[in-house]
Amino acid sequence: MSKDSSYTSLIVQAKGIRKTILSMIVKAHASHIGSAYSIVEILLYLYNEELKINPKNPLDPGRDRFILSKGWGVSALYAILAEKGFFKKELLDSYCLNGSKLVGTATRNGIPGIEATTGSIGHGLPIGVGIALAGKIQQKNYRVFVLVGDGECNEGSTWEAILQAGQYKLDNLVIIVDYNKWQAYGRIKDVLNLEPFAKKWRSFNWSVKVINGHNFNEISQACSSIPFKKNQPNVIIAHTIKGKGISALEDDNEWHYRTPTDEIIKIAEKELNI
Amino acid sequence: MRFSFLKTLTSLMRKDDSILVLTADMGYGVFEELEKEFPKRFLNTGITEQSTVSMAAGLALSGYKVFFYAQAPFATMRCFEQIRLDAAYNHTNIKIIGTASGFSSNQLGTSHFSVEDIALMRLLPNLTIFTPGDPFEAEWATKMAYKTNGPVYLRLSKSGSAVIHKQSISIPIGKGIKICDGNQLTIFVSGNLLPMAQNIVSSLNKKNIQACLISMPTIKPLDKEIIVSEAKRTKTIFTLEDHSIIGGLGSAVAEVLAELGEKVNFLRLGVPDKFTHIVGSEKHLLASNGLSEKKIIKNILNKLSQK
Repeated sequence: MSKDSSYTSLIVQAKGIRKTILSMIVKAHASHIGSAYSIVEILLYLYNEELKINPKNPLDPGRDRFILSKGWGVSALYAILAEKGFFKKELLDSYCLNGSKLVGTATRNGIPGIEATTGSIGHGLPIGVGIALAGKIQQKNYRVFVLVGDGECNEGSTWEAILQAGQYKLDNLVIIVDYNKWQAYGRIKDVLNLEPFAKKWRSFNWSVKVINGHNFNEISQACSSIPFKKNQPNVIIAHTIKGKGISALEDDNEWHYRTPTDEIIKIAEKELNI
Repeated sequence: MRFSFLKTLTSLMRKDDSILVLTADMGYGVFEELEKEFPKRFLNTGITEQSTVSMAAGLALSGYKVFFYAQAPFATMRCFEQIRLDAAYNHTNIKIIGTASGFSSNQLGTSHFSVEDIALMRLLPNLTIFTPGDPFEAEWATKMAYKTNGPVYLRLSKSGSAVIHKQSISIPIGKGIKICDGNQLTIFVSGNLLPMAQNIVSSLNKKNIQACLISMPTIKPLDKEIIVSEAKRTKTIFTLEDHSIIGGLGSAVAEVLAELGEKVNFLRLGVPDKFTHIVGSEKHLLASNGLSEKKIIKNILNKLSQK
């Protein structure tokens, strides 16, 4: 595993984003903190280093698209969008509260930077296929990034889209799988085993990279070689830890549902340097 | 009806490069010419209704007007949630073309019958629903689907080639078309049963019963005005459709009448709330569901006698 030394600023930012997520979720008495924490490094890297986007012109036709297909991790995305200036940070205080447009799953209701309505799983990838296909037909240079959950790879529509992206040779499409090994009711391997996972994607004519999804160097290395292979869609299987960042939350599916308690908040204060 | 749709779509595609046609492996013997003319704007996405609707949303979000073609039960029921979120909620320019609706796939049984599709589509905000009843209405509906900025469900029948209108139609979306006038009762009909409705009106005329016939090629938005004015005028309203009596034209009209508060003699003529376990000709299947001309006339006369 490569060292993360050259990304000290992002490592610091990751703590800040996790603090923000924690306060949003605690304030709203909301769920899904584990799902948000497992994708913080991936999102931070994409939004700081990879995506060609302009927060002042969020619908720029030439922009790279990012779709959070595992929509219930959206608190992490909102925190980063606010940080990047897509909307005011004060809006984060309304997350999941009465009248708020910051819905607990990614919802395309006018919030700048939200490209698709997800949350119901198995939608984001085929929407991404459509946008990537449009880019190919129109000979545009934008790329489409879709972050999918591992549990989401149970859905038939996800595999329909995986077949289609291979068929249409969408090398402008990048899927990142947040492989945190948990789905709603239990361990992936116990519910519907995805392994051999990389092999499955390859057999559907995709190019695959497998990385540690919390390591900025590894994320960077994978992204730097997009497209991995001409005429093949790209998938990055990112091994992650659900709840990453606060030891008491890590790899424990309870925090898919529960709001962090006072006890957890105390631990977080120490570990996130609050 | 299908031919009329295809001809109209082809001429629209000649004028507008932003139209794409996606089919979920359907349209053998239908799309070959279109595919030859527009090889880059026709895409068979495979037998994948769910991902195809989401993909269509992605294409629509990128500026395309997407016509998605599949058999009515699969175009609406298999991918209902994709239609709900990716087409309706997101207000994307997706035109869902449900072909072989009602009992069109007459030998293939319940899997291929589609008598619940309108009910499902009516539930969804933002969606416009067209149910043309002859080739001219299909031409009109295809043009209106294209003009509508947002998601559309266009319900086509395999049959429906009998011509009722004398020429191309030019009415706004959401308006009924008075086919013939009469002051004793009003029949609202949508879709495939339009020719049957016309025969029924002729038979009633021979019995000296003057019936008004109104075709409703748009189910949503519904022409409430014409329903209200007919309810006040003839006070006797029938609906006729090759769809369940739950959720289709009959329900839509019933909702208007119930809230109107006028005393109206009303009967829904449609597919009863039960599955059809047999096959046979489309005519046979309709008749086995009480939708033969003879049975319908009998039901109308019964209802009139209760007045």
